[in-house]
Amino acid sequence: MGKFSAMTSNPFDAARDTYRKIAANIALIMRGQEAATRHLLASLAAGGHVLLEDYPGTGKTTLAKALAKSIDAQFKRLQFTPDLLPSDILGVSIFDQRDQQFHFHEGPVFTNILLADEINRASPRTQSALLEAMGEGQVSVEGVRRNLSDLFFVIATQNPVEFRGTYPLPEAQMDRFAMQFTLGYVSAADEVAVLTAQEHNHPLDELKPVATLGDVIAMKEAVENVRISNELKRYVVDIVSATRAASGVQLGASPRASIALMKTAQAEALFAGADFVAPEQIQKLAVPVIAHRLVLEPQARFSGVTARGVVEDVLKKLTVPA
Amino acid sequence: MKTPPFLLLAALVFWGWMSGFLLVGALMGLLLESARFISARWELDDPDFSRVWFFCVLLNLALVLYVFTMNDETGGIAGMFHGNIMRNVSDSSVQTSTRFLRWLPMSLFALMAAQTFNLRPSVPMASISLITRWRQRRHKGGQDFAGQYADISYPYFMVCLFSSGIHSNRGDFHYFAGLVPLILWALVANRSKRYGLGAWICAITLGVGLAIIGSLGVNQVQRAIQHIDAQLMARFLRQRSDPLQTMTSMGRIGGLKLSAKIVIWLQPRELAQVPEYLREASYRIYKPDKMTWFSGDKLTDFKPLQPEPDEKTWVLLPGKMNNPAAVNISCYLNGWSHEDNMPEGLLPLPGGVRRLENVPPYMVMKRNQNGAVLAAGRGLVIFDAIYAGGATMDSPPNITSTNRLDLDVPTNEVPALEQVIAEMHLDAGADETQKLRAVSRFFSSKFSYSLWQGWDKVASTNATPLTKFLLTSRKGHCEYFASATVLLLRQLGIPARYAIGYAVHEAHGSEYVVRERDAHAWCLAWDEKAKNWVDFDTTPASWVSMENHFSAVGLWFSDARSWIGFQISKFRWRQAHLQQYILWSLLPVMVVLLYHIIFRRRTQRKRPAGKAGLDADVIWPGLDSEFYQIESRLAACGVLREPGEALADWLERALSEPSVAELRPVLQQLLRLHYRYRFDPHGLSEAERKSLGDQARQALNQLSPK
Repeated sequence: MGKFSAMTSNPFDAARDTYRKIAANIALIMRGQEAATRHLLASLAAGGHVLLEDYPGTGKTTLAKALAKSIDAQFKRLQFTPDLLPSDILGVSIFDQRDQQFHFHEGPVFTNILLADEINRASPRTQSALLEAMGEGQVSVEGVRRNLSDLFFVIATQNPVEFRGTYPLPEAQMDRFAMQFTLGYVSAADEVAVLTAQEHNHPLDELKPVATLGDVIAMKEAVENVRISNELKRYVVDIVSATRAASGVQLGASPRASIALMKTAQAEALFAGADFVAPEQIQKLAVPVIAHRLVLEPQARFSGVTARGVVEDVLKKLTVPA
Repeated sequence: MKTPPFLLLAALVFWGWMSGFLLVGALMGLLLESARFISARWELDDPDFSRVWFFCVLLNLALVLYVFTMNDETGGIAGMFHGNIMRNVSDSSVQTSTRFLRWLPMSLFALMAAQTFNLRPSVPMASISLITRWRQRRHKGGQDFAGQYADISYPYFMVCLFSSGIHSNRGDFHYFAGLVPLILWALVANRSKRYGLGAWICAITLGVGLAIIGSLGVNQVQRAIQHIDAQLMARFLRQRSDPLQTMTSMGRIGGLKLSAKIVIWLQPRELAQVPEYLREASYRIYKPDKMTWFSGDKLTDFKPLQPEPDEKTWVLLPGKMNNPAAVNISCYLNGWSHEDNMPEGLLPLPGGVRRLENVPPYMVMKRNQNGAVLAAGRGLVIFDAIYAGGATMDSPPNITSTNRLDLDVPTNEVPALEQVIAEMHLDAGADETQKLRAVSRFFSSKFSYSLWQGWDKVASTNATPLTKFLLTSRKGHCEYFASATVLLLRQLGIPARYAIGYAVHEAHGSEYVVRERDAHAWCLAWDEKAKNWVDFDTTPASWVSMENHFSAVGLWFSDARSWIGFQISKFRWRQAHLQQYILWSLLPVMVVLLYHIIFRRRTQRKRPAGKAGLDADVIWPGLDSEFYQIESRLAACGVLREPGEALADWLERALSEPSVAELRPVLQQLLRLHYRYRFDPHGLSEAERKSLGDQARQALNQLSPK
């Protein structure tokens, strides 16, 4: 047990405590972004990765950094550029003149929390280098499989405005992200508070870790133990398969989406103080978990159909277990 | 209904007036318009409309079938455009091939009535349009098309106008005069408000003016279309025999080949007593430059024949018959009569035919001096021909001093004929019988049959093909033999005529069939003693086997095709008894199909139930929770839960009502218990389950209206 872990016997309570502390710590920096923080932590606790998509300056990087700083874990930041190579992410073997041998130099992917900033600026080849790491928690470099650490959490950001010189993420890469959500502009009052906080120095510099790596891993384990009834599993599957049959959708969500939705809903239930999943938690997370995986038909897209709208429509039409 | 009030009534009355169903039209119109005053409505869903539509389509198909078999007036496409001329043929009958088009307002009435009296006055596109249904199936979900509904009142109005225009009883002007106000009525109701009434009237006047000019032009088009129709008909049918002239293929190079298609069926009344030849026409004048035989009269020389009072028997040659025989003949009329606007053709008749019996009704028959009977009527005629030896219906030979048609020989053929006669070594005083025998012997001994015509037959400057045939090649087909024989006999002083028709030699069980390639030409010679014409054929008998030589390997296939074509024609031209059974079976078929519709309805209802059963196998826990009573109680207060709304969200909404706000802690506690009961795999303990029930009942009491 680390120095920050609460002395509670119930693993659920301990996990909730960890969540609360991290959320409160982030809230010091990110004003008015409680919902986004909760999504981010749900994804972390469910073992999924997050894609933040929002306009420049809304605090994507700050949120990622605040999370990294709140946890006493390794954090690496990688700025994606068009000339970034896969070896820049995964690592490379370099010949050492002294002992006449190759030594593997680990890339930034060997960390606990990886901030992949502006991921859509790198070429698809480089983006794909992250596939294995994100999907299986391991990387294969030069034929050798290397395991990543138990906690490997990717926060990728991308900018939806600029398209010049960007490479949209391939569908397979999009599917690797458990959630995609936006931060959005905060209210005027919150923005004033942000200004006040940064009057003298950046509060991020003073942020202290509030949870250990062990706490977060324990939280992940606790989430796995959150109960979910068969009826709700069926509901999850129904939602996901309904997106496949929805009109205007070329490619519906995969079973991986069902898994992600279930796991994040478990985390959400835990955060909400329950030991089991309730339907509204599934509904709450359906849009951030499913929407980014859908490929819309061009015709539908031009006529104003959005992936978010499709998922919301499915939620509205599907009878929810009550 | 989108149509202005009473427009449909007017259109239906107009239709009734034009088509002779005035009462029915008025009744249907009144029924439809009554919807404006009757507020009671049906609640038909999409499958119901599909059923109604299916019924209408079936009804129409049945009507088409019915009309097809009832085709007393012939005419094909032309019938669509010309009802009046048809009526000349059979005055009593108003049955036409396009009758079902006239019946459209009646047969589609069910759909229109279903829409009119439905709660939502429109018809789902998916139930009537195959295209919509197909697109719906293609787009899996089909939400885009599920909601497409169409008002069919205007289309129905157009159908009424269209049907009124078909074979109108009242002539063209009445139709036009009725059509214009009705269309104006419909148009004025949908007039664009953007332009003034003046502009509208100007436009309409222009439109009506153009329509008048156009309707005059339509007459021209109509004539052109009729012409095309006749040509189309003729294209699919065998070249028919012309009663006025027949062009021989003498003098042409190449093989002669005719198809094995069966064109005539014969059924002798007594076994094996079948005429040897079926004659279509005979000709009297030979023009060697055209290689053509002419009959020597005009179409107008054909004298109309009148049937006996029973309308089935036609006497061609009155008088006593000794030893009459009868044969049932089925043949196609493969020409087209522009005068009567129906199929027309020469009947192939046995020599010495006296009367025709069991002739189908509504036939027009004419005959000329040369014993050709031109019949017009259906495309296929079946009749009994009664024939006997002796007299024929041909005119006696014309051998007066001024007009010697039956003894005339073209001058350029005379030298060759004389040479041949010299070769025959006839006695100076030979009588007719001897002459005939000598000619017959001459041809059989010195000539052979050949379908191939080489260079030796081509006309040259000093010899006609016939001359070459007689003097040098001595090979040829029946036209050579027949032509040569006719001229030879005439040169010998015996009146003769050139006859064409068919030779009957192929038995098919008790029937005989005549193929196209059995077409034959022979000679009619005048028997001065008996005072009648006798068939005189000098073509070597080997021609039959020679023709059969061509019988292809797939003859049975060709025969089967001919047989099927014959049966269809029989059915089409209403010569088969089958059609009576079909008419009778129409009703039970409709009943069975209606039953099918009802049956399908049941299965359709079953299907969703079956799907529900799949889920019903899994009984989710906690469905007996008392919280549902609270939900329905709150719903009764007006806070309804959407199917996609989670209970917690709904409760939050319900609790914002001030009347139940005080119950917030109780209800939230209840919801927590309910959620655990429903969604926690661990479930509730006995005590907790009991407490859920107790608390729910308590809350219900508090919620009950005071």
